[in-house]
Amino acid sequence: MMAEAVNEKTAQIEGSELAHTELENNKNKTMVEEGSSLLRRLEISVAEAEKRTGKNTVNMQETFTVYLVETRPIDAMKEGHNPAPDSLWRRYSEFELLRNYLLVTYPYIVVPPLPEKRAEFVWHKLSADNMDPDFVERRRVGLENFLLRIASHSVLSNDKILYHFLTKEHGWKEAVYETGFQAKADSRIKALSATFRVKNPDKRFTEMRHYSDELQSITSHLLRVRARVADRLYGVYKVHGNYGRVFSEWSAIEKEMGDGLQSAGHHMDAYAASVDDILEEEEHYADQLKEYLFYAEALRAVCRKHELIQYELETASSDLISKKQQREELATGMVRTFSFKGMTNKLFGQESPEQREARLSLLEDQIVEGEETVKEKTLESQEYVKCAWVDIQRFKEQKDRDLREALISYAIMQISLCKKGIQVWSNAKECFQKM
Amino acid sequence: MSAGTPKSLASSGQKPIQDICHPLGAEEVAPAGLRTPSPDVGNATSSIGEKDLSLPNGTPVETSSPASSSSLLNRLQLDDDLDGETRDLFVTVDDPKKHVSTMETYITYRVATKTTRVEFDLPEYSVRRRYQDFDWLRTKLEDSQPTHLIPPLPQKFVMKGVVDRFSEEFVATRRKALDKFLKRVADHPVLSFNEHLNTFLSAKDLNKRQGLALLTKMGESVKYVTGGYKLRARPMEFTAMAEYLDMFSQKLGTMDRIAQRIIKEQSEYLVELREYGPVYSTWAAVEAELHEPLEGVAGCVANCSSALDELTEDMSEDFLPVLREYALYVEAMKAVLKKRDNVQAEYEAKLEAAAFRKEERATSVQQVPTDVERCQDRVECFNADLKADWDRWQSNKRQDFRHLLTGVADHNIQYYEKCLAAWESVIPLLHDKQPQEAETD
Repeated sequence: MMAEAVNEKTAQIEGSELAHTELENNKNKTMVEEGSSLLRRLEISVAEAEKRTGKNTVNMQETFTVYLVETRPIDAMKEGHNPAPDSLWRRYSEFELLRNYLLVTYPYIVVPPLPEKRAEFVWHKLSADNMDPDFVERRRVGLENFLLRIASHSVLSNDKILYHFLTKEHGWKEAVYETGFQAKADSRIKALSATFRVKNPDKRFTEMRHYSDELQSITSHLLRVRARVADRLYGVYKVHGNYGRVFSEWSAIEKEMGDGLQSAGHHMDAYAASVDDILEEEEHYADQLKEYLFYAEALRAVCRKHELIQYELETASSDLISKKQQREELATGMVRTFSFKGMTNKLFGQESPEQREARLSLLEDQIVEGEETVKEKTLESQEYVKCAWVDIQRFKEQKDRDLREALISYAIMQISLCKKGIQVWSNAKECFQKM
Repeated sequence: MSAGTPKSLASSGQKPIQDICHPLGAEEVAPAGLRTPSPDVGNATSSIGEKDLSLPNGTPVETSSPASSSSLLNRLQLDDDLDGETRDLFVTVDDPKKHVSTMETYITYRVATKTTRVEFDLPEYSVRRRYQDFDWLRTKLEDSQPTHLIPPLPQKFVMKGVVDRFSEEFVATRRKALDKFLKRVADHPVLSFNEHLNTFLSAKDLNKRQGLALLTKMGESVKYVTGGYKLRARPMEFTAMAEYLDMFSQKLGTMDRIAQRIIKEQSEYLVELREYGPVYSTWAAVEAELHEPLEGVAGCVANCSSALDELTEDMSEDFLPVLREYALYVEAMKAVLKKRDNVQAEYEAKLEAAAFRKEERATSVQQVPTDVERCQDRVECFNADLKADWDRWQSNKRQDFRHLLTGVADHNIQYYEKCLAAWESVIPLLHDKQPQEAETD
């Protein structure tokens, strides 16, 4: 019953635009307003995570985590009701499958990335264990973010497979495979890694690809160093805890100095303990950086796809030109291009008129085909460039907005850290002055 | 007005007991009036000043005693609150300079003195002294004032090749320690009147005196080493002092290790920060709209790095040296306690021997051997001086550590304030957008 309502709505939603000035609001709100999107009509969240055990594909026992995807039509809530959300369980691998499907089906879209599969850029206290509750929690948030980004995308949010993923637990995997995206997936992987020289790429895409490479290497470096910085900061704070102990011991052998020392010691303990929360908060910043590290990859893929299409167009064009040249030679008898037939003719003598006729006819067919191909490829390329550039622009604005916000909240975190430091040391100073 | 035990006066030697008013003796006799410094005390002891004093073993006491009761009063009122008004001797050690000669290279410091004391010919002095001059002074003080705690000097020997004796940092640390040493001596009611201190502060050329002094130094140093006597009944308070010193020096050691560890951790943190900041700059170079915000963050991290560098330097220069100085002080105090034990042991042994001889001879009891008397005097003098010095030391220690730890807190507060200012100043930069998309937040 809900599906019908959705279908109606889907029809209405196509093609609305959004003014750029509205993009100042916070991310979620922005996502809801941006484009015509699923998020306008459906509340989506990844509410919980749970551990499960089961047999895997090779019939071995394994433990894995499942995530609860909840949805609730926004209409239903407007009337003052508060209905329970629909929900289903998905594991990480299913999210991966969804993303792969989207990558292949919408190659001109910078597809939002998933949170990392395994914990990387770990500083020592942080666990690298996928089962660690903090890691699971951060992943839950990351998965929700992933769904919200997709559901707010003007193109991706209309996808049927996406809707199925969100609303129907069973039979989803089969539906995805039925789309036949798998075949395209393999060739995509090959294309992305292949090296080929494009003669006339759209310069904007070449620049964008360079940028995506830079973004990837820079954010990766930044994350690595940040993890080391966190490690060191942890060390500095924790060592101060030793003051707590020695002040306490020392105060036991002092008369007038004792009280002041003892209280100061407590403040040192508090200082040492405060670093845990500080670094916990900073992980959020790291996650924001990670999202764009992975986004850089998606951006790169879009640029590469353009180059691939362009390359195919150029190949088809040059093929066509050479075929036309061959036809001309055959017709005029002037050999300008090298061909085996030409060679064998020279060596073994000319071919018969019937053979020539046959070859000419074949060439003509090939030329017609070739022209079709070139026309198709040209169209494909133009379409691709148009759509991809639109999404790249959208991505650029989103990135600038998100990263700016990330930097602001990082600065706010640092300010809070400094204020806490001043507070603790001022308290300790008061105690020292009473010694 | 000072509360508590009266300040120790110049040790007296060969005097009949009745003529001398010992602070300790006064306590035992228990007239309360004698406990507090009053003009009476001043009058009673002014006679000492004129007499020629000598130490029990015959060595002349090289202290200049208070010439008048008023200056005595001044000294007694001095106590531990160092009001500038009551002090009449100010010393400073500053202006280190390197001297290069064919024989050696060394550093001299300016020692400046301002005083109203009549023991000095001039109201102001300015002389140049090197470390070995300070060492000479300390030795002289130790020898001439064996019953007193002499403040420690910074370490004499430095491993060549490990520490640069002429680096700015080393010289600065040493200067501070020498300044501390001299100020402590100048603030001491007995030591500050020592003739050697006077010479040290005023003489143009110490070398000549040093030459002579070197010869006597040898003989004197044997004095209080050990009589080989075994101590029987150490008074509780001195045992308590020894125990305290052991535990205190342990705590000092622990704090030194912790401080060093913190400095190490902070240095490593700094190394990472110095790599972290520039990455933001690299990033800024490839961005358009994010260029300013990213550069802002890079600059911010750089500012925090500098602040951290300063913090670590301050801790190295201000905190660690003082901890180490107090470790030396503990050693000096332990040495004095040991000397006191030896003096008491000697007394006990002589007392026993005398009692034994008395029994043998069976003569009258009235004649107390002056030898034993002298020992008893020494013990009581020593105990009085030591207790007074101990109290003074405890009080100074409390003040010093209050000051030191407050300083540590201040340095850390300053560090965080600098970082706070840096991050707060970058916030408007982060909010500020390009003209096309002007926005207020």
